[in-house]
Amino acid sequence: MKKILVKTKIQKLTACLLLAGMAFTAVSSVFASPEQDRKSIIEYFETRFVGIPLSEYANGVYAYDTVGRESWEAIEEFPPYEIAIEKGQTMWETPFANGKTYKDCFPDGPAFADQYPRWDKKQAKVVTLPLAINQCREANGEKPLKYKKGSINDILAYIAYESRGKKTHVVIPEGEPGALAAYEDGKKFFFTRRGQLNFSCATCHIQNAGNRIRSDNLSPALGHTTHFPVYRSKWGAVGTLHRRFTGCNKQVRAKPFKAQGEEYRNLEYFLTYLSNGLELNGPGSRK
Amino acid sequence: MVKTIRGLTLSGVAMLLTTALMLPAIQTHAADAVKGSNIEQGKELAFSRKKGNCLACHMIKDGVSPGNIAPPLVMMKSRFPDKNVLRAQIWDASKRNPETAMPLFGKYEVLTESELDKVTDFIYSL
Amino acid sequence: MKLAIKLLLIVVLGFTSTVILAAASDKAAQDAIAAADQARKKAASVKGEWRDTGKIIKQAEQTRKKGDFDKAIKLANKAERQGKYGYEQAMSQQTLKMPSYLKY
Repeated sequence: MKKILVKTKIQKLTACLLLAGMAFTAVSSVFASPEQDRKSIIEYFETRFVGIPLSEYANGVYAYDTVGRESWEAIEEFPPYEIAIEKGQTMWETPFANGKTYKDCFPDGPAFADQYPRWDKKQAKVVTLPLAINQCREANGEKPLKYKKGSINDILAYIAYESRGKKTHVVIPEGEPGALAAYEDGKKFFFTRRGQLNFSCATCHIQNAGNRIRSDNLSPALGHTTHFPVYRSKWGAVGTLHRRFTGCNKQVRAKPFKAQGEEYRNLEYFLTYLSNGLELNGPGSRK
Repeated sequence: MVKTIRGLTLSGVAMLLTTALMLPAIQTHAADAVKGSNIEQGKELAFSRKKGNCLACHMIKDGVSPGNIAPPLVMMKSRFPDKNVLRAQIWDASKRNPETAMPLFGKYEVLTESELDKVTDFIYSL
Repeated sequence: MKLAIKLLLIVVLGFTSTVILAAASDKAAQDAIAAADQARKKAASVKGEWRDTGKIIKQAEQTRKKGDFDKAIKLANKAERQGKYGYEQAMSQQTLKMPSYLKY
């Protein structure tokens, strides 16, 4: 009995030391708090694009792509994502086989997109809106939806549309080392070069934001998350943020990660945090 | 004795022939000869989206809808008097600038060494 | 007549020796493919796998099955190098270094 106690004490001590070590490396390798990161990146964009108000970044690349903006505004007059919103509303209102609805899972819904992504203490991981939707479905005996294409985009489009006007406010709860570690992990992902072409997310979407790659204007990281799910002409459909991540990774010739896997959820946590204060205006449309 | 030797030689030839038939490599050499000078081939590689795709970031004479991420490729001989320095830059641009946005065309084998030679010839001619 | 038989024998001999040589390089191709897959997995273990490495390994395997062992080995070696590069690329960035264009 005593022996076992001693053992668990040692285990606890090791765990504590490990945690402290992790926290230390996290802090020592970046020297910055999430709020310092956000401010530094905002400052960068303010210097790079003088005179563009911060709130404009909710419009993504059209904050500074004046040529593209005209055709974008024309498209938005007859939004290609309207059908998705309608289908999503039907999904929201149609009860599951057990008689319950999405509203039973999400009492604040349907206008609750601003609550995600968030750190879930119980699950000890970042929970995104698509993940929460599938957890709700599975808890009610329904099949989970696919994470990149298909009807998940309908329900997301409806929730995004109902949440328009709310502001991004990702919280990294204090006293939750796991939450900060998830943020740091997403940040590291963002700044890490990968793939045969050796680009990081930041290479294009911070360092070269506003420059053209061939004839495409590169979008700013600031505001990347405000308008998802997004109708892309290239896709001819509405798609999720993680589908877009997949596309980006493939373009730099890196093997993409799993949609809603830890890598992309943590990346979403970091990326959405950067947009704190920006208005949610999804679903959006892009080239 | 002589006959056996001749037989062996013949069988050797036959073996070589059958082996050679299984190697399609010879064809590529023939194709290379048809395509024209190194500079012309380098231009094709530089403009191709799947190969050099230099136009993604650099303005180049004759290139349609170039990007503007990186400097226009002009006056290369005055910018890179030493052709080898230019080649090294294309091979691994991170050596001169760790924060470069340029892919490491040689180091990561986006282009083969011979493709890199041709692209260098072409860029150097600008 | 005698000459015809001799010639036939020579061709058959030549062919068999090619087959024997080929059998040897099938093993080499298999080894090269295994090494490539190991390199790919090593890169993946540090989240550094490249997009096409798995595809190239599959191509190598198909080429091997068709009997073109030299090409299979070439492809496998290419994939193995990609695995190495991807691993080194990820390892060289284990400690996050913030770009200089961001000011703190």
